[in-house]
Amino acid sequence: MSEHVVSLTVDGVEVKVPAGTPVIQAAERAGSVVPHYCYHPGIPSRPAQCRMCLVEIEGQPKLQPSCVMIAQEGMIVHTQSEQALEARRSVIEFLLLNHPLDCPICDAAGQCMLQDYAYETGQLSSRYEEPKLVLGRDRIAEDILYFADRCIICTRCVRFMEDIAGDNSLVVAQRGHKAYIDTFPGQELEHAFRGNIVDVCPVGALVHEDFVFKARAWDMDTAPGICAGCSQGCNIEVNVKENQVVRVKPRYNADVNGYWMCDEGRRHLVMANRGLRLDVPMIRRGDVLEAVTWSEAIEWIAASAPWGAGGVAVVHPGESNETLFALRELIGALGIAGGGYRMSRGEEVELPGFPRLKLRQDRAPNGAGAELFGFSETDAVPVPEAGQTLLVAGDRLLDAGSDYGAQAGFYVYLGTHMTEGASSATVILPLAGAGEADGTYVNFDGLVQRFHQAMQPPGVARPGWMVIDRLLREVEPDRPPMRDVAAAFGSMAAATPELEGLSWRGLGLKGGRTAGRATVTGAR
Amino acid sequence: MGYPYSHDLEVGTILSRHFGDESARRLNVWQEYGGYAALAKAVGMDATQITGIVKDSGLRGRGGAGFPTGLKWSFMPQEPTGPHYLCCNADESEPGAFKDREILRWVPHLLIEGCLIAARAIRAEHVYIYVRGEYFPYTRILNDAVVEAYEAGFIGPDILGSGWDCELTVHIGAGAYIAGEETGLMSSLVGGRAEPRVKPPFPAQSGVFGRPTTVNNVETLAAVPMILSEGSAWYRQWGTERSPGTKLWCCSGHLERPGTYELPLGIPLRDIIYDVCGGIRNGKKLKAVIPGGSSTALLTASELDCASTYEGMQEAGSSLGTASPIVMDEDTNIVRAIRRTAEFYAHESCGQCVQCREGTAWVAKILHRIEMGDGRLADIDTLYDLCEQLTGRTICVLADSVVFPLRSSLDKFRADYEALIGGRA
Amino acid sequence: MTRKIHPAVVSAQPFQVANLRPTDRLFEDEEGRDRLEKAISRYPDKRAALLPMLAYAQERNGWVSPESMQQVAEALDLTPAYVNSVATFYTMYNKHPTGRHMIQVCTCVACHLCGGEEVFEAFLEATGTVPGAMSEDGKYVVMEAECLGACGFATAVQVNDRYFENVTPETVGEVLARLEQDGGE
Repeated sequence: MSEHVVSLTVDGVEVKVPAGTPVIQAAERAGSVVPHYCYHPGIPSRPAQCRMCLVEIEGQPKLQPSCVMIAQEGMIVHTQSEQALEARRSVIEFLLLNHPLDCPICDAAGQCMLQDYAYETGQLSSRYEEPKLVLGRDRIAEDILYFADRCIICTRCVRFMEDIAGDNSLVVAQRGHKAYIDTFPGQELEHAFRGNIVDVCPVGALVHEDFVFKARAWDMDTAPGICAGCSQGCNIEVNVKENQVVRVKPRYNADVNGYWMCDEGRRHLVMANRGLRLDVPMIRRGDVLEAVTWSEAIEWIAASAPWGAGGVAVVHPGESNETLFALRELIGALGIAGGGYRMSRGEEVELPGFPRLKLRQDRAPNGAGAELFGFSETDAVPVPEAGQTLLVAGDRLLDAGSDYGAQAGFYVYLGTHMTEGASSATVILPLAGAGEADGTYVNFDGLVQRFHQAMQPPGVARPGWMVIDRLLREVEPDRPPMRDVAAAFGSMAAATPELEGLSWRGLGLKGGRTAGRATVTGAR
Repeated sequence: MGYPYSHDLEVGTILSRHFGDESARRLNVWQEYGGYAALAKAVGMDATQITGIVKDSGLRGRGGAGFPTGLKWSFMPQEPTGPHYLCCNADESEPGAFKDREILRWVPHLLIEGCLIAARAIRAEHVYIYVRGEYFPYTRILNDAVVEAYEAGFIGPDILGSGWDCELTVHIGAGAYIAGEETGLMSSLVGGRAEPRVKPPFPAQSGVFGRPTTVNNVETLAAVPMILSEGSAWYRQWGTERSPGTKLWCCSGHLERPGTYELPLGIPLRDIIYDVCGGIRNGKKLKAVIPGGSSTALLTASELDCASTYEGMQEAGSSLGTASPIVMDEDTNIVRAIRRTAEFYAHESCGQCVQCREGTAWVAKILHRIEMGDGRLADIDTLYDLCEQLTGRTICVLADSVVFPLRSSLDKFRADYEALIGGRA
Repeated sequence: MTRKIHPAVVSAQPFQVANLRPTDRLFEDEEGRDRLEKAISRYPDKRAALLPMLAYAQERNGWVSPESMQQVAEALDLTPAYVNSVATFYTMYNKHPTGRHMIQVCTCVACHLCGGEEVFEAFLEATGTVPGAMSEDGKYVVMEAECLGACGFATAVQVNDRYFENVTPETVGEVLARLEQDGGE
């Protein structure tokens, strides 16, 4: 932190900024957003080549690019002067000369900086009468397409790859008005974080192939989430259309992921809810599992479960803190001493230009939360002794056969997907999956972060904490209810010293730190 | 003296005395002509002394901008914290200019000597001479001279027994006008696309390989040995107070005697065209002249009485540029000539700045359409407006370069445009 | 054939030549290794040897093929994409094989005034080619060039590493005859 502060005037508003701040950022503080293309706050290199952010600075004979011009004491900046507006208008006119104007079929329409600024400058027709240059489109990566005609050569994508990903395999080829973005002919971009080039593209030139023609910007609902792909806890924006996740984008959080996220994370939520979903509670009647209502299921379990008799349990580090906390209570009520969780692991991938962010080895979001609530890592699913109670929550039992848990006296399965290993269950309770509920995770770094429901769970599936709370209140009628997620968080925090001082509301969208870092040292 | 023609008004003692004399390329002959005496003097002087003499001489950069050379050298750190570099800009590509080529091909040792003296003045340990790729025959000549100079101990370790080491490398480009722009050249030399960058940092702070660097034009450096030998007052006997010395004029187009001439700065442009170059060929009348290379504003027959100095050309509404007048006779299709010029800049735009990338190509297309008889009067307004949009908005001045000839042609030869348009609204 | 080249000038060898010495592996013979090592030795950062090595690839093969780019990339610790980005910025690196005699006629403003276009047309006619395409016998490619820096000697024509000056439509035949006569260099 520089202690030196300079004050300057932007559009008549005096602001103080740390020495070394570029004018474009100082202007933002003063409430003036200077339109720009090549400048991106997360990309260190500043070529100042789009010439969109030119502003008038008193005493300077020419307009200056505000992205590289450093704020000086006493500087007087006009971002909306006639000269600056005229320069901006002309940049838009130039950019549109060879632009195909295919907004009706462009996936960026509605979220396009070229469209927005063209609208702002009000150019309804073009003076350009010459034939447009047609460059066509290309595949940049296995999952990314490049529409060269829409490209404005801001080079954000090239510079993300070079500055942040440390991979120089995306480049500008050719020069002048024939320039385009390319990889080496015959090669595709392969990098675990390459998807960010689509996010930084200010127009519709780079598009994920699985998003092409999927949804218009204005047809999607958006919710803030936390990526459940690893223990990093990247802040994300979940785009949903007709109750389907169509896109996941990083949401800025300086302390966690900056502007970025990895490609595995982008796919995680899209893939997580695929497969045969559980959408109704089921209880065993003889040889068959029979669909019942929640009331029937809850009453039946309350009456039939061997409360206090002990047994074995396995939970999953993909569950929210609220659910894990409730599970601990449930396990206690069943008389089970502790439980395990299994963690899937993968290779760690670094992002050299933003070392805080990695695709972490722990490929689940809440290993730290599981540890916090007393669960310990285990390699295999527990095998109950004959007649013992077995509780499985969230683990999809991908390695278990259809006879798993057959010897158990009472087998409760809480989960999102029907799986072979649940065939012998006594009772199956359908839970809301990723993106279908509110809750919190603790990331590898001990940061507690909120995520929000982006879509409806299938059928009558419900969040785990809600289901368990209902069940426990059936057994202990005096238990204070968890009426909503904030209350669930409150009950949990009250009973957990590491969460002291935290509240659902207080966490906001930036998260809050656990008091005792020691509890999360197991996380990788 | 000039090549292939010479004239009484020429000076010749500084740059061009041996133009046309192939033997001057050889080191032994060059030494007989007094070559490398200035270097011998320079190794006995320190950087500040050399810079002082060049400052006093008033020598201005011959690459087009006319920045005072001594002042530029003085921007280099006085207390080096690591290597400094000198880049000699021999990427001569401005349409109309071919002066550096003549220096390379006739007096390569003069350039080498100038480079070494300048290197000493800026405390550079390595000189890179960046020659445009197309100049193969002249690069060969330079290469031979460099090898001879190395073998004779004028370049390399312990130059002339002084204990001073300086390396020199010849490096060729591969077809990019923009590599002649100072920061574009540096970007190209280090193995990149020749894309200019924003300043600061200035080259004297951070240039090639991230180190303090000075970039000087061939003709500038070639003038240095004689200035050092004979002194700044001697150099100042030619030219004016603000434009001292001599300048190579590259004259092309419809002239009786086109070619290179070394003339004292200050001669009226009219005399250069009509006296030195023998006037317009085939007895035609002059229609226009682009006086300083294709990026300068054109002048008409009635505007030739300006002094051929930096300030004189500016007063006349144009600029000295590289002192490369392209002369057009009365039959010239101005629109077509300007279209050719615009196409050149569109072809050479590096493509970073939006205005330049899109605007130069647009200008060329409009001009082409007018030339083909498909223009409209509104096109003239559009061209004027584009002149506004292409001026002073970009990283380098390539976009501005297309504006000077374009705007001046619109101002001075509007009738030519209108005749091709034929009144279509 | 292998000349001893002084390291100071190794980065400035003419690379558009008639006599090729084709090779699939640029840096595996003595000459190639020598050029690479000498070029690298002249710069504090070996990336600076990129243009010289692209030039060397063309000097040997007549063009800069994707394979050459990959070899240069490997030799200089760069990505092939980066090498391609640089190679495509510069117009003198041929991205395709070209004729034995690459005839470039300047039609930029000064030569244009003095009849550059007519000279260009005359070359096309004399060689029976269309702009930029190789003649059937592989001997000629004729193309327009931007300013060659010989404006006082219009029309300037560059053929490989040679300049022909003051060329007129009438002397086009002479130029071609000289090329025939000299064969290669």
